[in-house]
Amino acid sequence: MTKNYLLRNTLRSLFYYRKDYFNQVIIIALLAAIITGSLFTGDSVRDSLRKSSSEKLGNTGILVSTGLRFFDSSVSDRLTSEYQLNTTPLLETDGYCQNFTTGATSLNISIYGITGNFFSFHGVKDVEIPRGTVAVNLKMADHLGVKEGDEIIIRFRDADPIPANAPFAPSKQGDGSRVMKISKIFGTEEAGNFSLGISQIVPQNLFINLQDLQQEKVPTFRVNRLLVAGTEGLSESYINDIIKETLIPSDIGLSIRKSAVTGEHEMISDRVFIDSAIVRCILDNIPEGYPVITYLANSIRSGNIETPYSFVSGLPASEELNITDDEIIISRWLAEDLGTNSGNEITLSWYHPVGNLLEEREKTFIIRYISDNEILLSDPALMPEFPGISGSTSCSSWDAGIPILMDKIRDKDEDYWDIYKGTPKAFVSYSVGKKLWGNNFGPATAIRFHGGTDRESILKGLRGNLDPADAGFTVKNILISGEEAATRGVDFSTLFLSLGFFIILSCIILLSFSVSIFFESKKEQVRTYFALGFRNVKIARLLFIETAIISIAGAFAGAFLGYGVNMLIIHALNSVWSGAVQTDTIAAGFNIIPVITGFVSTLLISLILVIIKLRSYLKRLEGHKDRAYKFHSSRINIILLTVASAFAVVVTSLSLIMQNPSIALSFSGGTLLFITLVLFLRQYYIRRGSGFSEGINGLYGLSRRFYSFYPSQSVTPVIFIAAGIFAIIITSSNRQGLTDRMLLNTGGTGGYLFWSESAIPVKENLNSKQGKDEFGLNDTDLSGLEFLQCLRLAGDDASCLNLNHIKAPPVLGLDPSSLISRGSFSFVSTIDADDNKNPWSLLNENINDNIIYGIADQTVIKWGLKISVGDTLIFRSENGKPLKIVVCAGLESSVFQGHLIVSEKNFRNYFPSVPGSSVFLIDGDQDNADQLKDLLSSRFSNYGLSVEKAAGKLASFFVVTNTYLNVFTILGILGLILGVAGLGFMLIRNYDQRKKEFALMMATGYSSSQLKRYILVDQVIILVWGIITGTVSALVATLPSLQSSGDISLNLLIIMIVSIFSVGILILFISVSRVGKTNLLLQLRKD
Amino acid sequence: MLKLTNISRSFAQRGVVLDNLNLEAGMGDSIAITGPSGSGKTTLMNIIGALDRPDSGDILFRDASILSYSSDELAKYRNRNIGFVFQDHLLLNHLTIKENIMLPVFAEKISEKEYADKEEYTVLLMERIGITGLKDKFPFQVSGGEAQRATLVRALIAKPAIILADEPTGSLDSKNADLLGRLLIEMNRDFGITLIVATHSHDLASMMGLHLSLDDGKLKG
Repeated sequence: MTKNYLLRNTLRSLFYYRKDYFNQVIIIALLAAIITGSLFTGDSVRDSLRKSSSEKLGNTGILVSTGLRFFDSSVSDRLTSEYQLNTTPLLETDGYCQNFTTGATSLNISIYGITGNFFSFHGVKDVEIPRGTVAVNLKMADHLGVKEGDEIIIRFRDADPIPANAPFAPSKQGDGSRVMKISKIFGTEEAGNFSLGISQIVPQNLFINLQDLQQEKVPTFRVNRLLVAGTEGLSESYINDIIKETLIPSDIGLSIRKSAVTGEHEMISDRVFIDSAIVRCILDNIPEGYPVITYLANSIRSGNIETPYSFVSGLPASEELNITDDEIIISRWLAEDLGTNSGNEITLSWYHPVGNLLEEREKTFIIRYISDNEILLSDPALMPEFPGISGSTSCSSWDAGIPILMDKIRDKDEDYWDIYKGTPKAFVSYSVGKKLWGNNFGPATAIRFHGGTDRESILKGLRGNLDPADAGFTVKNILISGEEAATRGVDFSTLFLSLGFFIILSCIILLSFSVSIFFESKKEQVRTYFALGFRNVKIARLLFIETAIISIAGAFAGAFLGYGVNMLIIHALNSVWSGAVQTDTIAAGFNIIPVITGFVSTLLISLILVIIKLRSYLKRLEGHKDRAYKFHSSRINIILLTVASAFAVVVTSLSLIMQNPSIALSFSGGTLLFITLVLFLRQYYIRRGSGFSEGINGLYGLSRRFYSFYPSQSVTPVIFIAAGIFAIIITSSNRQGLTDRMLLNTGGTGGYLFWSESAIPVKENLNSKQGKDEFGLNDTDLSGLEFLQCLRLAGDDASCLNLNHIKAPPVLGLDPSSLISRGSFSFVSTIDADDNKNPWSLLNENINDNIIYGIADQTVIKWGLKISVGDTLIFRSENGKPLKIVVCAGLESSVFQGHLIVSEKNFRNYFPSVPGSSVFLIDGDQDNADQLKDLLSSRFSNYGLSVEKAAGKLASFFVVTNTYLNVFTILGILGLILGVAGLGFMLIRNYDQRKKEFALMMATGYSSSQLKRYILVDQVIILVWGIITGTVSALVATLPSLQSSGDISLNLLIIMIVSIFSVGILILFISVSRVGKTNLLLQLRKD
Repeated sequence: MLKLTNISRSFAQRGVVLDNLNLEAGMGDSIAITGPSGSGKTTLMNIIGALDRPDSGDILFRDASILSYSSDELAKYRNRNIGFVFQDHLLLNHLTIKENIMLPVFAEKISEKEYADKEEYTVLLMERIGITGLKDKFPFQVSGGEAQRATLVRALIAKPAIILADEPTGSLDSKNADLLGRLLIEMNRDFGITLIVATHSHDLASMMGLHLSLDDGKLKG
């Protein structure tokens, strides 16, 4: 019975007060919509990233990669036939392309050499790319403005197994360039956007028949990627194991040949040098093997007599070669040529690659004995298959990749070449050879096998024993990596909840007003309950149930409305706010979790607010405490006002006078001014309260007298409006823009003029005379041109432009010495406690084997990689070993954002196959920047060089932050407008409480228009004062920003002020219009 | 001076409250209107004071129909010709007693000279009513009787032609009620103001020159 009564009572009350409740439902729904919308947005972005990742990968589950090395595509066939895996091989290479007709160029592209089953692997049937043609994806077609049948010029790096910077790599190493017809343009469904990288940005893809990327006519191809479909039942270790099982020497460029002289079999590499890990593996599994290293000496000298360009071998100790480290055996031919003999000294000189330079070194040996054609020592096969040398008909036609002084080559040298080819003329111990000529590419040029070891036994010995990691293979579950990167990427839920802070705050304030107004309207009902003996708990329960039902209704409606908010946000992210996401492919998705979370959290906020309000309301009514009338002392206010204004003037003046005002000083000045202006308004009102002798003259004096008793009713809205404007302007002032400081050496550009990237790596040292000669940069006008060349290991962009969580950013290898001497860039954190030490110098410090130092932008460290300075990132070096890079310092915002920087020395050590520099910081004459840019683009046109101002590059990173700030500002303004609507509510509340006053005034002869003016005048003062307080104090607080970058958007400021003022005035007029509509006469009767 | 002809007023919830009511009052008349609760006394007072409009009929004040007045003209009519005294004193708590009394003065723009005259007149009236000592006090600092006397001064400040007192003694004890009644009659007599009092109090009604009863929407003698 009681329950029925309660229910009936509640329902009737709900119906009776439906108009009052409607406000609450709307506000709660709005609150829920914002919260749910933000949560939805986070989910939508995450889902879109996952979807994008999944779409790009197609059916790829596991990626097998050898980085810059190659393996034989037959591995794919064997994995398919022996292990029933669905695989496809792939060659991913650098390059760029150009519309043949218009010249439009795509520099940042992905070129995929594919086999016939690439598209069927991805579930696209009956598609193939005929030889001599290419296919591009829609994005590239749009960018180049091409259609099927059009021709494009593509330039790419050939799949040459010899690293371009390996010793004796031919200088004319092939970088292919050809004109090809576009046979297909692929969309997303046809795997057109295929990508192995982690990024939300749609790539520009070019697909080419694998055969067109390789010159040799062979049945199988060199590739560097292998895609394995799906991940079900497949683990990385399983794939690694079966690759190990199936891997044969030829897969990784190792071949076996038999020496015609010794009859021995030997294993050689198409990379010339054999990696130390592979050497160790072969020797471990085939004990009959021994390593050999053969190198080209520039000269062998005895006194003044010199023999040019001779091969020298390092052989392990044996009966024939029982020599010490200082001894050498020479051939009879050499002894005679030099006119020397056993026991004499000879000096060898040779080129040793140091970075991308060649350093001539020499060593003197004592001749142990002279070889008379012992079998081993007269074997021309000891010379490795140097591509530029082996097939040459004469010495003068060598392309040895080193400077060959042709005038030194004598007829007898040519005769020797004709007869003996590359037969070494001298022999040292292997340990010496390895020490002198071993390099990052390996310690041996061949593994020879003693007598009885035939091809079959070599292959048998290695079957199942070649560790894929030793050959640079890495296996990664890329599907899971992509999902993880998307899941752990930028959290747009939290971001939009933060950005929508003002709207949420305004909703809560509005809700608070609304609940207060509602409770006030039920005052009589509650007093009746009190009079009838209802206990507080019971009254509270009755009111709570009503408001809870309203809260549930509002939160429920809002939670679903949140989807609409989400759609709006997603639409904005794909268009006007695309700077934040760098794509237009984010899709709004529906998920019940945000609905539930938004509903529950809104309900909680609303109910907590109701409970707080209810408690104070009942307490007040029970104690019969209506509004208290009390005088406010102006003395304390005057003291506070004087102190605040004095400090405000001093601090603001200081910040104006100082040449480099600190942000903290200006902010303090602004805050003090804020306090001063608020106290001033308070003084304005309470002064009227105590100044009775002046009397009240006129209507407005009457109005002010009211606020003298209730200064909080004027000060609270002023604080609300002013604080909102203050916060928005302060936040907006953090918009990043280029400042003069950024252009200095210590700034984010490092003082460099250009940031440049090349599609094809540049091998030459561009600061050297030869390098400048090569590219025509030796004019005196260009003498100031200075290059900082960076080697680049591809990775996923870790800058703020990538929404995914990145674990392996691109690694740049550079020589930090020039940065140290220029004092380029600034650091915000370092692991080194020594402040005087330049953190760049840490890069060259050796920590341990396979552990090196790295530097990155602090923003990348914190937000992109989500680590701290001192943490370690693990990469896989080229020889398959884990390489730990300890982040030793964080750069202040710089052009390097998105990259991890290591020293060039370490880079070459761990990634020797990277052929040259792909990233450049270029300094030159600022006044001729445009001409310089054109000149560089033209000189490096074959390399697909993009040149942009370093300042522009730096500014491009600001777009994300600035977009976030725009979003915050716009949502903040909306929130403020909503808050100003709260002023209207406050006014209505005020108005309801003062109805009797207004009624009396009407009775004594005031017209309704006079009453409206009476109410409005102070509300307008409050609104305007709030705007002035917030704007002026914020402008003072942001003086440094205004003076340096001046990047506060004046338009946005004006829009904000105008919209807040307009909405405020509108709301005030709407509220005040109630004066004429309400029957005030009822108020003239006694309560 | 005041003539109400065939005034009718009805409300949705209460039905017909005033039914073809007629009333005539000359300068210096004092009229008591009595009747049970809900009989329409306050409605009649509000209609005379131009705070409400009749459904039909006419109100002539000095031979002019106030029903044709605009909102501003009605406000002026109330300000210059009508002085209200309500059951609840209805003083504004944020104004001093003197400022409350002068509230009608601020409804119109006046010169400094006029303001000074009004201020002087206020002091005079306060002396007359015996509340001089309250001028700088706030309503929440004075008693109910004092507040109601202040209301009377406020009603007189504009030198009105008519004072409409709606249950003026309803909230007062008998001593204060008697005092207020006598003051009302004094003002009626001394200033020649027409006094119309709606009241349940027979004592107060008996002080008036004419006693009418409102019954079934009509005034009966």
